[in-house]
Amino acid sequence: MTLVFAIVQVGAILLAACAVGWVLSAAFISPGSRFRLERVGWSFALGCGTLIAFVPASLGIGIRPGWIGFLILAALLVAVSRQLAPLTLPSPPARGRKEIGGGEFDRPTGDNSPLLPAGEGWGEGRSRALLKVLIVLGVAAYALRALTEPMWANDFIAIWGLKGKTIFGAVGYPERLRGLEFAHPEYPLGLPLLYAGISFLTGRWDDHAMALLFPLFQVATLLVLFGWLRRRGASLAVAGLAAATVAWFEPLYSGFLTGMAEVPLAFCALLFGAALADALDDMDTGALCRLAFAAALIAATKNEGMFLAVAGSLLALIFGKGARWKIALAALGPALLVRALHLPWRGRLPLADFEWNLFSMERVWDSIAAAMLLLGWATWASLALLLVLIALGDRVPAGNRLLLLAACAAVAYLVIPAFAVRGPAWLIETTLLRTSAALGPIVAAGIAVRFRGLKPPPSRYTQQG
Amino acid sequence: MRRAAAGAAATLLLALVLASQSWSELPPRARVLATFAQKELAVRRLGGSGTAFDRKFFSFLENVRRRIPDGTAAVVLRPAYRDIHLYLASYALAPLPVYVDSFSDHWVLPKDWLIAAYGEDPTYDFGVFARLPEGVLLAPPQR
Repeated sequence: MTLVFAIVQVGAILLAACAVGWVLSAAFISPGSRFRLERVGWSFALGCGTLIAFVPASLGIGIRPGWIGFLILAALLVAVSRQLAPLTLPSPPARGRKEIGGGEFDRPTGDNSPLLPAGEGWGEGRSRALLKVLIVLGVAAYALRALTEPMWANDFIAIWGLKGKTIFGAVGYPERLRGLEFAHPEYPLGLPLLYAGISFLTGRWDDHAMALLFPLFQVATLLVLFGWLRRRGASLAVAGLAAATVAWFEPLYSGFLTGMAEVPLAFCALLFGAALADALDDMDTGALCRLAFAAALIAATKNEGMFLAVAGSLLALIFGKGARWKIALAALGPALLVRALHLPWRGRLPLADFEWNLFSMERVWDSIAAAMLLLGWATWASLALLLVLIALGDRVPAGNRLLLLAACAAVAYLVIPAFAVRGPAWLIETTLLRTSAALGPIVAAGIAVRFRGLKPPPSRYTQQG
Repeated sequence: MRRAAAGAAATLLLALVLASQSWSELPPRARVLATFAQKELAVRRLGGSGTAFDRKFFSFLENVRRRIPDGTAAVVLRPAYRDIHLYLASYALAPLPVYVDSFSDHWVLPKDWLIAAYGEDPTYDFGVFARLPEGVLLAPPQR
């Protein structure tokens, strides 16, 4: 089978899954135009979630995963989602409303966003076109990097791909995977189940065509980033610059990381952060559901996802006002549930790379020193520019919270190597650049929204209590 | 002033991101894609980065995979090379379990297992299940 045909086949399956996701998303995303771009991104996430879930669901009832199992689960989910209360959005704040590009959005009148071009001539037309071209080219460049060859990174071969191919080939989860140390039985199974789910529907394992997932993860990330920023009042220039920068962020969107968990994690982290910020600002009645779904997805993607869920729930307890417990539960509960579901397949193998009694502050400093040495001048310059942008931005709660969430993860990436058996420097050198790159989209969202945070409507929770 | 500074910083950041791209890898990638797109999947992997450490080894694994008879329960890889060989063998032959040859001399090969001996060319036929260009597939004598 030629590559083009195989890619079309995988693309058709992902499109079908996305269509299911679109229907499901009506349960917690307003059908209004304010959410349109984000909704496409969430639909992709929901579609992937359905592809992940139908494999263990089919195996659980003793049938071979296939189209029938997928369609039955999709129909059940759609039926359940239809039973949920229809969404209502709080009335838009009494501010100016403008029409741009046919879509309606809210933003304050008297546009004085720091990143908006000043003159009408250079104006929005040309800069908008330039940003659009840049974003499209960024996606095309990553698609080329991702699809050049079958997924090949060591972690894909030894962990994510191996588990997916084994689940597909064995039509189950063989006992021996629970004791296969190099395949890390303790890692969540979301990505392997996604690979297996697609393979069950195509009827074969094609690790080249399935690389299509990764540019689509990137596109979904950009849609959610851009859509969320626009909904939160960011100007086209701000949202476009953020999306263009993320689209070309090669430390994340590289051929090497294709097949590994960082690209999906970056997407899920953005979904989680955006939903958390919406829930904390009480933006709409679907925010809590989005947060709960994103928490489940992030915990199913990578171990860091569980950490982010814990950090998110702590942020909810600190900033959640009257709804703090409800938001914290939505951020943590589904992640714990996913963790619990993974337990039977996890095995009892101790962690091979970490020992808790190795921790010392000296090793933390070793870790930080190794990180300092690892970063090149371009990274330092980029970090300096990010700090400048943070300093120049407004104090927007949603942005601050996203940055806090990213900061928690960054600190964890520097502290965890202190537990590494092979030394902090080893873990820093082998993982820091790619793991921290996954924070790129959430940092971009956190910084960009500080240049025009839409003041949230008064919280229903604080009004009530 | 603040607007200008923020605009400059954001544009500079984007420029830095664009400047640090590995531009030179894009044309070769496009050529590789065009050349290999019509080939079968195994050939595409053989020509890819994941097998660059030992392409002959992947060719061996692919030949093993195509000759493994139904009912085989596991494959023993011989000799034990680097970890990366084990990872690639485990992936290429999945869902079959792959073990490296670290068994004792008294260990008896179960009758539904095979030994994939990379680089070996035995002069005897006893236990030889298939001779491959890069090695040999060995089976218990009764198989």
